Amino acid sequence: MPHPLAAARHHPTETTAKRARWAPATYRPASPVLSGEDRLIASRFSYGITPALAREVRRAGGGRAWFRAQLRPQAIADAAADRVPGWWPSLSYDPVTLTRRSNDGTEHTGVVMNHYQRQLLCRRVLTRRQVLEVMTEFWESHFHVPINGDGVFGFRRDYGDTIRRHALGSFADLLFATTTHPAMGMFLDNAESTRMAPNENLGRELLELHTVGRGHYTEDDVKASARILTGWRVVSWTTWATDYRPADHWTGPVRVMGFSDANADPDGRALTRRYTDHLASHPATADRICRKLATKFVADAPPATLVAKMTRTWRRTGGDIAAVLTTMVEAGEFTRASRPKVRTPGEDVVATYRALGATPKRPTRDSDAANEIVWQCYHLGDGTHAWPRPDGPPVTNDAWSTPNRMLASYHVHYRMTGGWWPATGAGLRAPEEWLPAKRLTMAEFVDHLCRTMLGRPSTSRLLKTACHAVDVKPGARITRTHPVVRRHLPVLLTALLDTPDHLTR
Amino acid sequence: MASTPSTPPTPQAQPAQATRCSDPACAEMTDWTLSRRSLLSTAGAAGAFTAVFGDTHVRAQAATAAPAASSSGAPVLLVLSLRGGADGLSLVVPHGDPAYYRARPRLAVPADRLLVADEMFGLHPALAPLADWWRSGRVAAVHAAGLPARNRSHFAAMEEVEDADPTSSLRVGWLNRLIGLDGVRSPLQAVHMGGAVPPSSLAGPEPSLSVPDPGSVRLAADGVVSRTARRRSLRSAWGADGGADLAPLVASARSVPGLVDAFVPATSAASSVTFPGTFLGKALSFASRTIRAGVGAQVVTVDHGGWDMHADLGTVESGDMRTLATELGEALAAFLADLGPHLDRTTVVVLSEFGRRTEENSSMGLDHGYGNAMLLAGAGVLGGRVHGTWPGLTLGSDADLLVTTDYRSVLAEVVRTRFGRSTSAVFPGFSPAPVGAMAG
Repeated sequence: MPHPLAAARHHPTETTAKRARWAPATYRPASPVLSGEDRLIASRFSYGITPALAREVRRAGGGRAWFRAQLRPQAIADAAADRVPGWWPSLSYDPVTLTRRSNDGTEHTGVVMNHYQRQLLCRRVLTRRQVLEVMTEFWESHFHVPINGDGVFGFRRDYGDTIRRHALGSFADLLFATTTHPAMGMFLDNAESTRMAPNENLGRELLELHTVGRGHYTEDDVKASARILTGWRVVSWTTWATDYRPADHWTGPVRVMGFSDANADPDGRALTRRYTDHLASHPATADRICRKLATKFVADAPPATLVAKMTRTWRRTGGDIAAVLTTMVEAGEFTRASRPKVRTPGEDVVATYRALGATPKRPTRDSDAANEIVWQCYHLGDGTHAWPRPDGPPVTNDAWSTPNRMLASYHVHYRMTGGWWPATGAGLRAPEEWLPAKRLTMAEFVDHLCRTMLGRPSTSRLLKTACHAVDVKPGARITRTHPVVRRHLPVLLTALLDTPDHLTR
Repeated sequence: MASTPSTPPTPQAQPAQATRCSDPACAEMTDWTLSRRSLLSTAGAAGAFTAVFGDTHVRAQAATAAPAASSSGAPVLLVLSLRGGADGLSLVVPHGDPAYYRARPRLAVPADRLLVADEMFGLHPALAPLADWWRSGRVAAVHAAGLPARNRSHFAAMEEVEDADPTSSLRVGWLNRLIGLDGVRSPLQAVHMGGAVPPSSLAGPEPSLSVPDPGSVRLAADGVVSRTARRRSLRSAWGADGGADLAPLVASARSVPGLVDAFVPATSAASSVTFPGTFLGKALSFASRTIRAGVGAQVVTVDHGGWDMHADLGTVESGDMRTLATELGEALAAFLADLGPHLDRTTVVVLSEFGRRTEENSSMGLDHGYGNAMLLAGAGVLGGRVHGTWPGLTLGSDADLLVTTDYRSVLAEVVRTRFGRSTSAVFPGFSPAPVGAMAG
């Protein structure tokens, strides 16, 4: 699919000479870039196309083949990303230890949750299992448990890891795992729900947010939904034990939409599984989840025909996520109906690291990139999995298209390209390392930067954007002593990041 | 990057851009990582949400300031949210209720230390900077105010307070509805001061502006190469329209330089008083400059974290309450003074998501409760007294101050008297009861 901005037409009164002046050059040997469907697949299902990713896609035999290989993440060696969680030891402590350390002033639980955010962000930068990580974020946002929810800190990392295990597997497994997880129980109060006083919070959101959506159930269904879920307790703030307690399970016949059960067994765990399986196979769930996927990965208003193809696969495979994604990616609509998707602030931050070739190192100081990356996201107004409401962050463009976001993105890009924020540990290139040759024209340099940072060749619009930013003509000779390299490189790099090309995926 | 300077180059026409570590925003973030209390300031900032629901089809010129004529004398509302559940019984002390001293053998504020006390209430001594404002009738309190039903989850209570519309599942905040009542769609109408994430009271279709620090409303890299280079570059970058799906992003990008220019008067205004160097002092200092500069702000929000005092709330001599009440009193008094004549058009509302339990716990602290005190200051406020109906305190480990005034009645009175707006559009389905805290 040609990027809509790539085809920007020249103004009709523009002279041939002017057009020639802004004709993009090609730097040779050109680093290879992806195009068409290959580029679209890699861009939508990664945190930014790097030269290394472009090579991987080509080596795999194209976008579809790369995508299929990505659906088997265990076959992809990923040492760099595997090391990341170990950078913050408290991420592996149990909830009792975390509580004690927080109470005695060693490390506040909020800080542990910041580490969790950092771990995810660094992993997104570094991982070769890009599709897995993209889908983990998608589901972790869908089954949203905010990192600052009351009492979730001791379970939150395991919650994310659990989602990652199921992210490309069966939706029914994923739904059961999230619904019964103590992190979800703490956040939506199911951990306190009892047969005497069923708490409706999770019972409702399971229907409204996680599965069928509004319009398919009644208030009586919500009450029954909550009764089904009683028993999954957490002994909060003391032992943090997560045993299922039959004594707290409401027994007696239950009916939710088309689901009914005698519910005679005080151990309601099998009942919960029957119930979430029913919800996972409900046509309204299939339609709603497929539409959300298509909205996230294809266009804000995805075509009904595409959603229908995906729901057919859902029915045929019993909600096999990898199969549904494959149907989406290989449908004609994927390229035909694809429209620009604005990067969320978090995606912007991670993609900025990848565009700059920045690789966060194991942190030793607060100022190190692996620590600061979370504040970069907060600066953009998007704390990783800190969305303040149970519905999780939106997947449409408008939410991330405000003037405020632009201002903040520009700041984050500029401070990062200059090495001012983060100040250390980002693994940024030195200015002269950006030059692919001792001497080249500005137009060639811009082409090299576009290929390296944006995964695309230069265009006349990008050439203009870059040249205007640093007041240099396309034909100027650039060497390491030129002001563009010595003084103004951050302005030049920022100019290319502050474009629709970088702010969309 | 050895060859780059340690800070971004100074733009030619503007003050030096702050590096991260001198930013108030950064200070706030650092506090968040370091302070155990301040977790809730971000939970609150999260009570917030992200980057502003887009003004999806705002036209480029809409992001410029509202006309000066409407900004110079127009009413302004500053909403200061104390995050974490501030203990209103410590701030506006019901010393005339005998249960108060029985419930808090260690934490109660002694009656002889209270300021501007009447038979029933008196202010915490750490609020001393507000005492003269109270006496001159510019500051008031409303006690036993809160949500219509008890909600002891920070997260849920903040959202409920700021959404203020149980009739709708749309997540739109009451301040967003308020600024949506006119036809103006400028993000400068509502400014969140001191953080990147606006509170959920500002969530919704109307655009707003978040100002982590004064430097954040500048165009990064502007004026570094030349006066015009950066803006020319951005015009090239965003010159193509990109189709309907990109229209909001393109419109926002095109509006940014004008927005930055319109905000310049706020960045360059001076203060007439010395503000405390605290986070709240800085945020209110910049709020005052923004109001006085007349850039079109009708609503300003500020979040102040750290009020979740389960432990070490302390006494009038030391402890977290004394510290935070001092911060609050000093910063708010400086703000009222700095506004000068603009105080006659500016109303301040101070509120928190819930109050705290009546009885102290074993850790010199107080657990989550229910009813609370709200503070009002400035334009239209009938000050120097405590409004509301006192329900009387009860004892028991689960007892808390009951709510006799729905907090929306207080907000509705401010909206009606100061903005002359229909309160039913701001608080749908709610019939406010008269509080009598505002003139008119």
